[in-house]
Amino acid sequence: MSEVKGKVLKHDQQTRMMHWVHLVCFTILGLTGIAFYWDINIISNIFGGPANASLVHRWAGVLFAAGPAIYILLNFERFSKFIDTITNFTRNDIGWLKTMGGYVPFIKAEHIPPQDKYNAGQKILGGLIITGCLLIILTGFPMWLWRHTLPAVFLSACYSIHFWTALIMILLVGGHFFLAAIHPRSRVEFASMMMDGYVDAEFTAHHNESWFNELQKVE
Amino acid sequence: MGIFKEKEGFTRRQFLKGSAILAVTVVVTGVFAKFGVDIYKASDDYIAERAQGLYTLDESMAIRRSHKNPEIAQIYQEFLSPGGVNPVSEKAHHLLHTRYGKDIPALIEELEHHDENHAA
Repeated sequence: MSEVKGKVLKHDQQTRMMHWVHLVCFTILGLTGIAFYWDINIISNIFGGPANASLVHRWAGVLFAAGPAIYILLNFERFSKFIDTITNFTRNDIGWLKTMGGYVPFIKAEHIPPQDKYNAGQKILGGLIITGCLLIILTGFPMWLWRHTLPAVFLSACYSIHFWTALIMILLVGGHFFLAAIHPRSRVEFASMMMDGYVDAEFTAHHNESWFNELQKVE
Repeated sequence: MGIFKEKEGFTRRQFLKGSAILAVTVVVTGVFAKFGVDIYKASDDYIAERAQGLYTLDESMAIRRSHKNPEIAQIYQEFLSPGGVNPVSEKAHHLLHTRYGKDIPALIEELEHHDENHAA
């Protein structure tokens, strides 16, 4: 497997576009949210002051919700495959979790079981990101649209859920960025999602062996 | 150099899982919305009952309008606007139209100056 030559199309154009939209929105939402939650004017001034930062936060939130919704409607097949992959936990995934894929220095990883299109860690991350996005979107819109009519106790719950979910999401995305863009063992994934969608076949055959065995050679 | 791709099409299991996630999203959204609507209604009912309680209490009062209260009228006649009932007299403005929060130090200073000016 290690001598396989060629490229694997891992992420198609619309998936990459949706990921870019979500990345830009998430960054803006995170920055503006931090800015007006902790009253950090240096950040909110980038967006034209606290009032504008709040406005940018809301409309970035609309894009944050609309991006994946449009993607799912136009790419239901791809979405279904993604959901199937991240919800399909096998013994190989348990094996990956036991060794943490060899990413954690003090955990011995002599044999890492073959992985799917996404390894066990990525599968868990995918589930957490979807849940987090849903919570953030569901609590965000009442705070904006019905803040004058909803009872304080409901809005207060929305604020707490929104804040804590956002904080956890920022930490998760930080970890995701580190492993996908900086860590020497996996940073080739960055160019795949952010640029042309391709990964080296050799890398895929090693990191995503189970998935690679199901692929078809088209050229 | 070879190019590898996923096979086209999706299985029944993949379709069902994708649909199930969408269905769960709709249900969670619905439950959350129902929760919000219920709290809104409960809050609205409470406000209506509280308002009704205040109206009921008000109806049982002998004096129901502040400007018809003889004690208030007396305070105006004897202190706030001597000789008559003038709710916007200068003294009434300074003593009754108060401020709050960050404006309190400025109000205290203004009252002190007011007293000094009147004493002089």
